[in-house]
Amino acid sequence: MIDIEHIESLAALRLEGEEKERIRRDLEEIISYFEVLNEVDTEGIEPLVFTKEVCLFLRKDEVKVSLNRQLIEKNRQLFGDGFFRVKRIIGE
Amino acid sequence: MEITKLGIKEISHLIKKKEVSAKEVVSSYLDEIHNKDSLVKAFLSVNEDEALRIAEQLDNENNKTGLLFGVPFAIKDNINVFGFETTAGSKILKGYIAPYDATVVKKIRNHGGIIIGKTNPDEFAMGSSTENSAFFPTKNPINHDYVPGGSSGGSAASVSGGFVPGSLGSDTGGSIRQPAAFCNVVGLKPTYGRVSRYGLIAFGSSLDCIGPITKNVEDAAIMLNVIAGFDENDETTAIMKVPDYTERLKDGVKNVKIGVLKEIKDFDIESSVLNALNKAVSKLIDLGAEIVEVSIPHLKYALPTYYIIAPSEASANLSRFDGVRYGLEGEGLNLRDFYENTRTEGFGREVKRRILIGTFALSEGYYDAYYLKASRVRRLIEQDFEKAFSVVESILLPTTPTLPFKFGEKKSPLEMYMSDIFTIPVSLAGLPAISVPFGETHNGFRAGMQFIGKWFDEIQLFQYSNALFEEG
Amino acid sequence: MYKATIGLEIHVQLSTKTKLFCGCSTEFAREPNTQVCPVCLGLPGVLPVLNEKAIEYGVKLALAMRMEINEFSTFYRKNYFYPDLPKGYQITQYGIPLAKNGSLEINTKEGLKKVRIQKGHLEEDSGKSIHLGDITESEFSFIDFNRSGVPLMEIVTEPDLESGDEVYEFLVLLRSIVRTLGVSSGDMEKGALRCDVNISVSKDKTRGTKVEVKNLNSFRTVKRAIEYEIERQIGLIEKGERIIQETRHFDEKEGTTKPMRVKEELNDYRYFPEPDLPPLILDKNYIEGIKHSLPELPNEKEKRFISQYGMPEDYARSIAYSPKMSEYFENVAKFVNHPREVANFLMVNIAGFLNEKDLEITDIKFGKEHFKELFELIESSKISVNIAKSVIEDCLRENKSPMQVVQEKGITQISDTGSLRKIVSEVLRDNSLQVEQYLNGKEKVFAFLIGQVMKKTQGKANPETANKLLLEEISKLKNERQR
Repeated sequence: MIDIEHIESLAALRLEGEEKERIRRDLEEIISYFEVLNEVDTEGIEPLVFTKEVCLFLRKDEVKVSLNRQLIEKNRQLFGDGFFRVKRIIGE
Repeated sequence: MEITKLGIKEISHLIKKKEVSAKEVVSSYLDEIHNKDSLVKAFLSVNEDEALRIAEQLDNENNKTGLLFGVPFAIKDNINVFGFETTAGSKILKGYIAPYDATVVKKIRNHGGIIIGKTNPDEFAMGSSTENSAFFPTKNPINHDYVPGGSSGGSAASVSGGFVPGSLGSDTGGSIRQPAAFCNVVGLKPTYGRVSRYGLIAFGSSLDCIGPITKNVEDAAIMLNVIAGFDENDETTAIMKVPDYTERLKDGVKNVKIGVLKEIKDFDIESSVLNALNKAVSKLIDLGAEIVEVSIPHLKYALPTYYIIAPSEASANLSRFDGVRYGLEGEGLNLRDFYENTRTEGFGREVKRRILIGTFALSEGYYDAYYLKASRVRRLIEQDFEKAFSVVESILLPTTPTLPFKFGEKKSPLEMYMSDIFTIPVSLAGLPAISVPFGETHNGFRAGMQFIGKWFDEIQLFQYSNALFEEG
Repeated sequence: MYKATIGLEIHVQLSTKTKLFCGCSTEFAREPNTQVCPVCLGLPGVLPVLNEKAIEYGVKLALAMRMEINEFSTFYRKNYFYPDLPKGYQITQYGIPLAKNGSLEINTKEGLKKVRIQKGHLEEDSGKSIHLGDITESEFSFIDFNRSGVPLMEIVTEPDLESGDEVYEFLVLLRSIVRTLGVSSGDMEKGALRCDVNISVSKDKTRGTKVEVKNLNSFRTVKRAIEYEIERQIGLIEKGERIIQETRHFDEKEGTTKPMRVKEELNDYRYFPEPDLPPLILDKNYIEGIKHSLPELPNEKEKRFISQYGMPEDYARSIAYSPKMSEYFENVAKFVNHPREVANFLMVNIAGFLNEKDLEITDIKFGKEHFKELFELIESSKISVNIAKSVIEDCLRENKSPMQVVQEKGITQISDTGSLRKIVSEVLRDNSLQVEQYLNGKEKVFAFLIGQVMKKTQGKANPETANKLLLEEISKLKNERQR
């Protein structure tokens, strides 16, 4: 049984009632489906994150133009001198 | 001449020759959208005025250059287009106005392309039918009772429905190829790193690819010429020259070794698709290809591998949707409530499922057994393909195991995931692949045939798939 | 005996022009959210692009701390929700860090002590959250993302430190290193250097319970917090009480540490490799290149100042630890010689002036040419060393050259024996009582008499000459008496 409440809280989600049960069952079905991977012998195999031909490009330390206020405010109102506003952070 | 039946190459050609104006072209397509999209619902937003304005501008230009000059395009709504609402098919981004252009959009504009609208996706590109869009499902233009596929269902439908000659979609586990197959059009997933992801709302960062959906193979090659290339804004793009992808379109498959999968018998495939596959193989032999059986022994582990890795990456990629800087603002007396309400209300069920799976797979105590394990199996799959490609130039597979299904037909998430069994392994290995429609129609639908190519070998891919496409 | 075991987790803000993953400026901005872009705001669809200067600075700092550079290092995502963290994850180096296994030596009462450095890695800074008005009453917090994405170098030491003093020494050295290298301002008050402390106390060889202390705003605060915490833990141990493993913050007003109110929900950060950034691969030549370009480090310079210039230890330390002061000093000393005197003038007179006016050594015009003039005036006996001190002060305050000051104020030393002898005679005449006392054996009175000569000449008498002449004249008197 997965601790769905713990996972939810890590993901900042809060499921309730029927939806919670449905999703819990879905998750269990999907996670047990993953068991098939245990059949594969991966001893000594390096994990793969990047596929071919990637190499890290290094950007020059030169200032670029910032985003202007108007474009930011198209998506969120800014407050005071130009702050984003959120509900109080508890415990600070 | 019906403008809306033409392809990208022809349209651009006619406009440059001044046989037709960009404005006429855009207007014709807008008419189609007005007449038919209310039934298909491929688009989430259409910007008529802007499109016509740009068309006029182009018509007034004396120097008509650019591979896409005057051609209208539709862009999947998980790609940022400056000034357009960009929702990724989600409530949580309703109202988000993109303050920048994705690199691919810039490139299309630089070549004279005109963005006419944004198309409907499965929410955050998670899905195989576009039923997961938070707004409405898109219908398959061939038969409205059937899904167009997903997650680039809107993009595929927009081309198939005659609303644009070309569109951009994104492919993480098959999201360009599968809807292209379902809508009987051509869809290309380029090699991972061939096209910049800057501006694509991330789902599975190590898997996501932007690619073209078009009416024919040549148009897809032209679009790749435009959008491919190293981008300073994307560290995962390859520092590799962009060749002319249309160079070998007519070179055929004579003496080319094409692989067919040994393990295909292990999979449940609809007879109509299997028939189409067999016909395709015969046709390729007729055309001079040599068919070789190849083995991808770890193929059957691709699905669980993908459904661990993609959701894991997604769970982190979607953490930025917290209501603070853009998108949906939930209720809440305190910060924690605010976060949870915004996200619980803003995300649909499939997205929530995947976020939870991903969070689980990365969590303490499970990371090794799930995420890390899947990453190792991923390497084995990549190695399988490397081995196969030492013997053949391309591998032929059906794009999907079935023809399109009806709305509501797939009851469980796992059932839906099965749609992607032949597309997912390709994504895990970062390989390029193209889907072309082929064979008889059943219920109006033809099967999609998938050619898989070697890394960065799209030229060959276009060459071989075009041979089959032109026979189709 | 109780033993404290202390380890540090330090974040150094690197002074590159732009942020770690985007081209936004890192300069101080007065208005919030004016140095932001889609990348550092965490907009949908953005990707990080690495700043080459940040790598260079990181490698420089690591090499200066004698760390081994990992030629292959990786980036990871550290996942957690916080309003000043726009992506909901921080890009940091978790798997293989930039550097490992270094050390620094600090001066302690018992001599030099080696502090081992476990690792150094690069990561991005978060934005800032601000509370306007009363924290407990305000319904809202306000976020500024100007700082989001600024490059940080995290340095973790082994728990080799044992007291607040040692930590203070360590931080002072680190600060002067980053300033000497030019990779950071090292200003703790401005947040360019942040320090979290892990302390455990035990009676015997076993390690005690580790307590983390955060939110320390200055070197002094760090020292105070450590001293308090050690006492607190000793107190608990003596009472037989358990020390809770927790995170505490330092209350400046009360001078105590307190448990943090935020319940650190066992934060599972779910680290995994950052798929948007390929691994960082550093060429051996690149690393060697930086190694060879390293300037002389503060502690090396300190030693050299003592041996090469004969400078006293405390002067050597102060000057060597400040890159600007050392540059100034060596510039002057090489030009005029007299290094010990220069050091003196620098530390006593000039430093005092700078402190008072809140200026930097680079702000003043008084340089090597002026010093040359000054020393010429001293050597030609026009002024004494004592007078030279006030001349410097006047030069600094009025922005004049020593010659100008001496001429304008007519403070040229009186050295000519003629006029001085006259003055000495006058003094002897006017202070017959003291002369009597001296002749009767009270030798200390000589100082008083010299004082009177100085007074009469308004301090301008050349002290050696005055001394000599006074002795001569008073001897004459003595001889006269004896006849």
